[in-house]
Amino acid sequence: MKAVCWMGTSNVETLTVPDPTLLNPHDAIIKITRTAICGSDLHLYDGFIPTMEAGDILGHEFMGIVEEVGKEVTNLKRGDRVVVPFTIACGSCAFCKKKLWSACDNTNPNAHLMEAAYGYSGSGLFGFSHMMGGYAGGQAQYARVPFANVGPLKIESDLPDEKVLFLSDIFPTGYMAAENAQIQAGDKVAIWGCGPVGQFAIASAFMLGAARVIAIDRFSERLEMARSLGAITVDYSEENVNVLTALKDLTGGTGPDSCIDAVGSEAHSNELQGFYDSVKTKLMLETDRPIVLRQAMQAVRKGGTLSIPGVYGGLLDKIPFGAAFGKGITMKMGQTNMHNYMKPLLERIENGQIDPSYIISHRITLDEVPEMYKVWRDKKERVTKIVIDPWAEQKIA
Amino acid sequence: MLNPLVEKPNAQTVPRAGSAGVTLNGHYSPPPKDKDGKIWVRTSALVQSSPEELYKAWRNVELAPTWQEEIVDVRRTDETTSHWIMKSGDKTIEWDSEVLADEPGKRIAWHTIGGESENAGEVIFEPAPGGKGTIATVLQEFRMGKIASAWETFVGRNPKQAVIENLRHFKALVETGEIPRIQNQPHGPRGTIGDMKKSLYGEKIATPPGDEQIAS
Repeated sequence: MKAVCWMGTSNVETLTVPDPTLLNPHDAIIKITRTAICGSDLHLYDGFIPTMEAGDILGHEFMGIVEEVGKEVTNLKRGDRVVVPFTIACGSCAFCKKKLWSACDNTNPNAHLMEAAYGYSGSGLFGFSHMMGGYAGGQAQYARVPFANVGPLKIESDLPDEKVLFLSDIFPTGYMAAENAQIQAGDKVAIWGCGPVGQFAIASAFMLGAARVIAIDRFSERLEMARSLGAITVDYSEENVNVLTALKDLTGGTGPDSCIDAVGSEAHSNELQGFYDSVKTKLMLETDRPIVLRQAMQAVRKGGTLSIPGVYGGLLDKIPFGAAFGKGITMKMGQTNMHNYMKPLLERIENGQIDPSYIISHRITLDEVPEMYKVWRDKKERVTKIVIDPWAEQKIA
Repeated sequence: MLNPLVEKPNAQTVPRAGSAGVTLNGHYSPPPKDKDGKIWVRTSALVQSSPEELYKAWRNVELAPTWQEEIVDVRRTDETTSHWIMKSGDKTIEWDSEVLADEPGKRIAWHTIGGESENAGEVIFEPAPGGKGTIATVLQEFRMGKIASAWETFVGRNPKQAVIENLRHFKALVETGEIPRIQNQPHGPRGTIGDMKKSLYGEKIATPPGDEQIAS
């Protein structure tokens, strides 16, 4: 089959590799009909996530048709149409029983690597480094899906792929970010990053009762989308804009009730601290550039909540913890507990409450993927979301 | 005895001595130190099953190759004895083992009685606090010898980590009916460095096959 392989920092290639096979009794093989590039894949592309190795197949947002099932798979059969969550969960450990699916005990074959770095290991993820399980990803024509009784969501309506594909990660991730923000009816919410997760966090914040959402980014196409959802936008790259002042101005001086960092470890800033973090990460004295995190900790109101869906990988420097303590804020974060959200959010799509496909800007073939990683990373085109048809031969325009 | 706190609706009585020496008179004790050529490892896991089920699965020594790394064959030779064969790279090591203590649903202790490995260990199963599953604790000692050096030389897994990984495999198998694995999945060319790192990640050691008989 064709698959997108990580071959080193800033180097991905579309190669022909063997087809996946069933390896465990609860596995299923999925013929992928649509897949996507996630903003977090850019962290891999840029070499920000340790334990990526040459040859690793990328991709964790995919859906398709069940091709083959292992002998213990009871609720899927060949021909079923499914969306696959990016976190792999066993469904039987103490964490799965508590519905903390992304903390599953039994799905990371390389748990010892994550234990060394984080104390304990979370669930395995598709296409996201050896530390996170080393599973082959879904930017490919086929994928092996472990614990197929637990993860894949069957799509029984005739909704097109593009409307349900984002149930694999970014829609639930944006939704959990809004839920973690503990929004109460009438709240004011600030969201950094208007990429796909930020977009769905904006939409979800409104669904959960926010009265005002303030969206922060620097790309006009993303800010336009945020306004189309009903948010007030702030472009931090405009002259004389200070985000903290803007948030005070837009909340009557109290600050947002909730702040959501939908940017993560590779934030950009126009200010001096942006340069400071770039230098430190290049010298390997720091693994992440927590510019947004610092700003959000500073901006959130007294007793407010900070929700972090943006991915961080390692050691952060100069975190204003005194501000967090001084204001008595709550912080919630982590990989998405996908399995809690896929079904209820599918219902919202089926009811017509939201059409997640509005964020798609590019539709490409597998052969075009390496070029598009570069285009997106370098922000050369107005990229908001790239969707891949793994079976298309011709350019899809 | 002073009793300053009288309201503790869910508190459990603290045992005088905890299993595997984890506590003594309510105070934590660290695992034994490595010395005189003996190395120790103590590890524990919370498993969603009963002590009785876990005991049964562990006591069935002939199933050990389904969840213990590099163990290729175990044959019962008597009620309490068994013959073990381990293959590490192209090196084969054999030994005999004897069960010293056998408390159904609670505890198994064993030691080697000849062959190319000198080790002893025990596993204890006890209900987790609050009745939330079972805590399995393994305490194992090795005498540095062929077994330890073979492991390290051929596969880059030290014997302490092997004990930890084996308990992890046991838990996964009991809870889910399989052991998570990525070996033999497709990938692109690894290059020289990728091959070296495989060892570092422990991915060169074959993940044991698993067996449904053990799933609870």
